[in-house]
Amino acid sequence: MASDNANLPGGKITFLLFFALVNFSFTIGIHNDNFSEELYVKPFSSGHVMFHFQFTTVWNVSIDKPESFQHYHLFPKSLGDVLTTYKVKELHLSQTQGLWKHEKWGYPPEDAPPGDELWVWFQPHSGVDQTWADLVNALSGLFCASLNFMDSKSTVQPRWSFRPAGLASEFYSANSRFVRYSTLPREVVCTENLTPWKKLLPCGSKIGLASLLNSVKIYDGFYHSLGVHVRSVCQDTQCLTPATELKQTLTVVYDPTTNKNGKQDWSFQSMFDRTLQSQCPLADTRKIYVDVTTQETLPKFSLSPVPDFVLNQKRSGEERKIAVYQIGNHLSPSSLNLKAMYEEKLTFSNSSLPPVYANRFVTGYGLERGGVTCMIYNTMSSNTTVIFMETVPWFLRVYFSSLRIENDGKEIKPYKINFIPAKDRANPYQMELVFRLFANSVTKITYSFERAFLKWTEYPPDANHGFYVSSAVVSTVLPVASQYTATSQSVSLLEESFSDSSSSFFLRLHTETLLVSLPTPDFSMPYNVICLACTVVAIAFGSLHNLTTRDFTASDPSKRKGLVAKLKSFFKKEKESPENKPDSKEEEIPSQKDKDNSKSEEKDSKKKDGNSET
Amino acid sequence: MAAPMVNFYFQLIAFAFLHQCTGTSPEEFFKSGHTNNWAVLVDTSRFWFNYRHVANVLSIYRSCKRLGIPDSRIILMVADDMACNPRNPRPATVFNNANNQINVYGDDVEVDYRGYEVTVENFIRVLTGRLPPSTPRSKRLLSDEHSNVLVYMTGHGGDGFLKFQDAEEISNVELADAFEQMWQKRRYHEVFFMIDTCQAESMFQKFYSPNILAVASSKVGEDSLSHHVDPSIGVYVIDRYTYYALEFLETVTPGSKKTMGQFLEVCPKYQCISTVAKRTDLFRRDVNKVLLTDFFGSVRNVELLPDSIHLQNATLHTHSEDSSDVKSDKPLSYAQQFPMPV
Repeated sequence: MASDNANLPGGKITFLLFFALVNFSFTIGIHNDNFSEELYVKPFSSGHVMFHFQFTTVWNVSIDKPESFQHYHLFPKSLGDVLTTYKVKELHLSQTQGLWKHEKWGYPPEDAPPGDELWVWFQPHSGVDQTWADLVNALSGLFCASLNFMDSKSTVQPRWSFRPAGLASEFYSANSRFVRYSTLPREVVCTENLTPWKKLLPCGSKIGLASLLNSVKIYDGFYHSLGVHVRSVCQDTQCLTPATELKQTLTVVYDPTTNKNGKQDWSFQSMFDRTLQSQCPLADTRKIYVDVTTQETLPKFSLSPVPDFVLNQKRSGEERKIAVYQIGNHLSPSSLNLKAMYEEKLTFSNSSLPPVYANRFVTGYGLERGGVTCMIYNTMSSNTTVIFMETVPWFLRVYFSSLRIENDGKEIKPYKINFIPAKDRANPYQMELVFRLFANSVTKITYSFERAFLKWTEYPPDANHGFYVSSAVVSTVLPVASQYTATSQSVSLLEESFSDSSSSFFLRLHTETLLVSLPTPDFSMPYNVICLACTVVAIAFGSLHNLTTRDFTASDPSKRKGLVAKLKSFFKKEKESPENKPDSKEEEIPSQKDKDNSKSEEKDSKKKDGNSET
Repeated sequence: MAAPMVNFYFQLIAFAFLHQCTGTSPEEFFKSGHTNNWAVLVDTSRFWFNYRHVANVLSIYRSCKRLGIPDSRIILMVADDMACNPRNPRPATVFNNANNQINVYGDDVEVDYRGYEVTVENFIRVLTGRLPPSTPRSKRLLSDEHSNVLVYMTGHGGDGFLKFQDAEEISNVELADAFEQMWQKRRYHEVFFMIDTCQAESMFQKFYSPNILAVASSKVGEDSLSHHVDPSIGVYVIDRYTYYALEFLETVTPGSKKTMGQFLEVCPKYQCISTVAKRTDLFRRDVNKVLLTDFFGSVRNVELLPDSIHLQNATLHTHSEDSSDVKSDKPLSYAQQFPMPV
């Protein structure tokens, strides 16, 4: 074998062979997928900056036909296998840490609740519950998250709130048998979730926009959200054949004013600790967009390098200016470090409120009852219909009769209600309300609940932390695209949705999650009980035992001397003993008696010792 | 047409490995008897003041990855999140040393069992392989009779037990029985069991299966101590035994000839304050002749074939049917997202 090694062909020939093979493989099969990487940067008037990365892969095969999922090129095989095995038609997974502040930042391109949220539409088949249970297990392995905790105790079938986002027939989407929705409000998102997410990208994390994703900086941000969205889209304008779209999004919000002496200056170097040095050669679209609507008004800022061109985005009721960078133009001679420099320090001003936003909180006190209140604000001058969905865990027993919707003191009757009560340890409470939000008003939804006792094995190891209630989902349709940045339903890329001629914009927003304490037993109780019980036994039983088993002899109280008298008699003895010889005989008798007493006392003390030993 | 293609690929791969082999004979490759390496790394402690246990297990994880065991062969169980904990002043990092600043959490970590999933039941199921059918591959220990498995456990322990997350315990008898199940099912070739807890020796005293080499950070009756505090974090960042073990492992490269005997001598009493205990009676080979990389590294041994093999084309379709044409008569439409009248 050593001789074989000596006769090996040189490195050059091996390289040539590889090259030939790679070229050969390219001619086999025409790839019918395309990939785009986009970055959308939007500074907010509150001083924060949002970076929204979107990696879109569109593959011209139908997800309805799993046998067409072969010859993977840009679409990740690990995800494709999961989708075909578990008969998935649409999948939406978001992993978020932080709360998106709608009042200050408007609407994000993808709204996500804190924690993990997963909703899936399945192909029509029987046994969807079992498929869902298997799917969450597979996804938990794929994304390194505890998605396997999304079991029947936290899964609901939303009837109106989570219709398919892609192509679907009306008959199919009206049937909520095939949709499952679940959240894990407590789930932590860290580098271990970013790593498998990055592995799904065709160019990986070493080149292209994904090379900016420095976990140490991203997880230091104000808000970060990972998203994986799979749906069916039209292949072309005729829309006779479907294609499968995979959209991977990462939204990060930073607060640059804390570092830059009050100015909202941001750059790739300061936000990601890296500059953009390459672009993904597999991508068709490689662009960066910066929202420069407020560039000329206060606060003024300038971008460096100068953008390739500036788009005017027109969406019903909203005009924005978007600076566009084609990444390829800016990589030479040195890497791209996109910078924004502000002239003045940030001044805090009242930003314009978005059309609809919501707040939710727990009310009440104590560990027996409580209530939940949700305030939905409508700042538009027109009424709008809203669908409000809540999922409450079974151990917070909701009183449906206490549900009230009020607007300015007047009660509102909901147009439709879908309320499915919980089953202990099996299903959660599911509530969907459809009602009208009046113009320029606040609508308050309240209900009360009672806290249940859990069995002692059902408490998590850190039971005193409390239990989480997932965020409520508010869905509505806006007539104006005020502060609206989501992509339109019929397109895939951000740049395709900048100018949109539609007049209605679907909005989904999530409220805060709630943290509720349940009556929790004291888990240090067994130790305390043992201590207490042993003390009681020792004192009570011991004393009783002494009382019942000891022999008591009476002693003459007059002969018993107090301490002072004893001391006096001791000194008297010393003084009198050399003088009173004839008295000595008399004293011997009482001393004998004392001896007898002392002997009996010794016996008693021995008995006592004996008792204590036993 | 595809079969000669596959054959060509095979020959090319064989060439590539030939090119990279170190020039030793194939008999030496298989002397140790194992063909693949697995690692099961468990941290059983929750809460911020147990930061050091997470740093312990991540240090060993980092060493295993550095020496060649891939993520697909490592099962990492971390009971609490320290890196993205709100109390962590440097998010997405876990340091094992206040000064040296090695970020043991790294940039490409994959945790298989996290948070509430780290339970005694899951741990025993992983070892014995008795997992529900829907468990994904990354959460399974798919070892065979030629696998060397490294099992590392850290947390709070006592005489005969190890505490999982303040809620339950695993006893040394259960652990010994789990290893016996593994032996009877031929799920390991050799096991190296490392444990860093108080009274750690008690955990391996009940082992009775062959081919287990065990080391513990303290004897029965002794406490394992932690190393130092990081003032900015406020808690101890690493335990003594793992700190000195990591120091030793940082000097090891994938091709190193250091032996397990040297590793078992790491952390003498003046450094560790507790006495490091070891158990070599169940291990068949001489500890001083076993390479460290037999357990911490990964074997990528290749058998060299001078002949070519013709494989049947069993899976590839040469021509895919026009399956992508699901042409419908009517144009498809997007689902209405808001089903209520606006």
